Amino acid sequence: MNHATSTTGEAVPSAANAGRGVHSPDESADPRQILADRVGQLFRQAPIGVGGTLLVVALVAYELYPAQMRERVVLWFWVFIMLLIAAARYTLVVGYRRDEKRDQNPERWLRWFAIGALAEGVNWGFAAGAFFLAPGVTDVQRVFLAFVLATMTAGGLPLFSAVWWVFGLFAFGVLVPFEAVLFTYDPHGKRLFADLALMVPFLLAINMTVAYRLNQVFVSGYRLRQAYGKLTEEHAVLNQQIEQQLEELLQAQREVEASGRKLALFAERAPIAVLEVDRNATILEMNPAAENLFGYSTGELVGRNAIRTLFPPDSPALQSPAWNAFVAGAKPVTLPQTVCIRRDSIEVVCEFTLTPLVNESGDLISVIAQVRDLTQVLEAERLKKEFTSTLSHELRTPLTSIIGSLQLVNSGVLGAIDKDVADLTEVAERNAQRLLDLINDILDIEKIESGKFVLFPEDISLDALLRESLVLNKSFAERFKVRLEAHRELPTVPVNADRKRLLQVLTNLISNAAKFSPEGGAVELSMTVADGTVRVGVGDRGAGVPENFRSRIFSRFAQADSALTRQKGGTGLGLSICKRLIEAMNGRIGFEDRAGGGTLFYFELPAKQAVAQTHQ
Amino acid sequence: MPAQPLNRICYVEDDADIQRIVRMSLEKIGKMTVEIVGDSTCAVEAIIAFKPDLVMLDWMMPVMDGPAVLRKMREHAETKNLPVVFITAKASQRELDELRAMGAAGIISKPFSPKNLPDQLRGIWHGLP
Repeated sequence: MNHATSTTGEAVPSAANAGRGVHSPDESADPRQILADRVGQLFRQAPIGVGGTLLVVALVAYELYPAQMRERVVLWFWVFIMLLIAAARYTLVVGYRRDEKRDQNPERWLRWFAIGALAEGVNWGFAAGAFFLAPGVTDVQRVFLAFVLATMTAGGLPLFSAVWWVFGLFAFGVLVPFEAVLFTYDPHGKRLFADLALMVPFLLAINMTVAYRLNQVFVSGYRLRQAYGKLTEEHAVLNQQIEQQLEELLQAQREVEASGRKLALFAERAPIAVLEVDRNATILEMNPAAENLFGYSTGELVGRNAIRTLFPPDSPALQSPAWNAFVAGAKPVTLPQTVCIRRDSIEVVCEFTLTPLVNESGDLISVIAQVRDLTQVLEAERLKKEFTSTLSHELRTPLTSIIGSLQLVNSGVLGAIDKDVADLTEVAERNAQRLLDLINDILDIEKIESGKFVLFPEDISLDALLRESLVLNKSFAERFKVRLEAHRELPTVPVNADRKRLLQVLTNLISNAAKFSPEGGAVELSMTVADGTVRVGVGDRGAGVPENFRSRIFSRFAQADSALTRQKGGTGLGLSICKRLIEAMNGRIGFEDRAGGGTLFYFELPAKQAVAQTHQ
Repeated sequence: MPAQPLNRICYVEDDADIQRIVRMSLEKIGKMTVEIVGDSTCAVEAIIAFKPDLVMLDWMMPVMDGPAVLRKMREHAETKNLPVVFITAKASQRELDELRAMGAAGIISKPFSPKNLPDQLRGIWHGLP
């Protein structure tokens, strides 16, 4: 395995890796980073190697100096080369230390380091070749040299074996020339050095093995260190994440508590009674309004069954099947009028709104019951009904006498009366009639608004009804010196409508038109059919509807000019009633200005069947 | 449509003012013969004695109301087939339906017009079988 060239994969930034979870050391180790670590170690130890080398070089020079002149020049040359290599290697170390991006390119620095190591090894090999065979060198010096070379080789082990092949280059550089010299050196036929030569490969093999083993130890050591570093880093990131999540949880808890307090405050101050009950209708919580309504304190009611405690035993509102169905359905329910029993045994009528509280999986957690006391509402309704009934029956009876008497007087059947008296009795009759109209209109409005109003639709001929209304209102119009006319011929149109109510609407529109027509003018009734809708129009030539009155003309008690009202009569309810009646018959009511002055009030009803369109 | 014109009317009504107005209206304008009964509890006896063409009943009366008088009339052979017209301030459709179901020949709502009352009664009279 060649670590120097193993560049599998880019260096993965550890921060990006950390978030993805913890890895095993093998997975997370980055071979390039391990290589960079090993190169770093080589360079860290390099000054020791350079220093040691210089020391040994000095020793060798000193020991070999007494040799012959020719060898002395070679010696100086060798020392010079050695100094050059040492300087180059030291310069390399300085360069390496200064390079901030050294870890990003470990191969380059390793290459240069290896060249330095090889150069030094080869120069030691050169020493072996040059000095061992030199004639002036003694055998003792040769032994010394051999020992030095062996020491240098062994000394390279701790210095270079972070990358085993660097040591290999160095060791081969030293030992291969030395081995060659030992084999060829046989001055006296002695085999002593030849034996030594036999041991050199052995030494090389052992050293290489040791170097390779050391190399492995370094690799796994650095891998572990790196993995541990990553683990620590990941651990820190995880810790940070956990802390952040914890903070978020605390924040969420604070928010929930705050909104819980807000909700509690809402319930606390709400004028409506609020109870929380569980799926068995056991009361869990209640607000002060509930205490007031039922007359129990919270302490007395919590834990008790709401159905058994708050309802009469025979209450049909919430028997257990009804409750169970509600719990199973988990849909909001409103119990409109439910009789409840207070603590003091007094019955109160309440409206219950039950809202189930369900979790995400749809299971019922609890039920929020909002209870509205209807006692006052029902009492108000009863009073209103009583008042209406009084209006209807008790006021009509005396009015019958008043109007009847005055009518008899004014009819002249009782004999002629003084003109001034006749004027006054006529005023009295008109106003009594107005009072009666007002009562009738109020009763109508009340009936419509309370929803008790019932229409009796039948198939009627609208044109016949119009002609009838012309006859019925003739005498009223004559009072205002106004003629009633049908505009062109009325087409025959059947409609499905309440005859009496439709006549009421027509009478109202015609009498309004008559009231606001100039003396001698005419009220025109028209009828047109288009797109299955029949439009009935009542037109006058009056002053028109004032601009500021147009928007509220169909509102209750709406009258444009109260002075005019006193003069011409009317309750201000007529058009409001007409609008409601026509809308109840699926129609539409409105008004528009007439060409040539005056106003056209109209209502539209769906025609009973398709009728040929009429000309305008 | 009955052969003879409407002439004799018996009116059961507790309110004295209305009594006078109806009497004046029917006598002066309608030129009819009118018998007014103020106490509804002895109405049937008075009707039997007077032998009217048509009976007018007020609905709301103390002790015995109009419908009760009608039910009692149905129990007597002499009064059982007499046409009955109610005069009432009640106006709801349900109440009117109730009266028709009881066999009322007609209903005149209060307040009525004394000027038109004789014509209204004659209209009902002419509509009878």
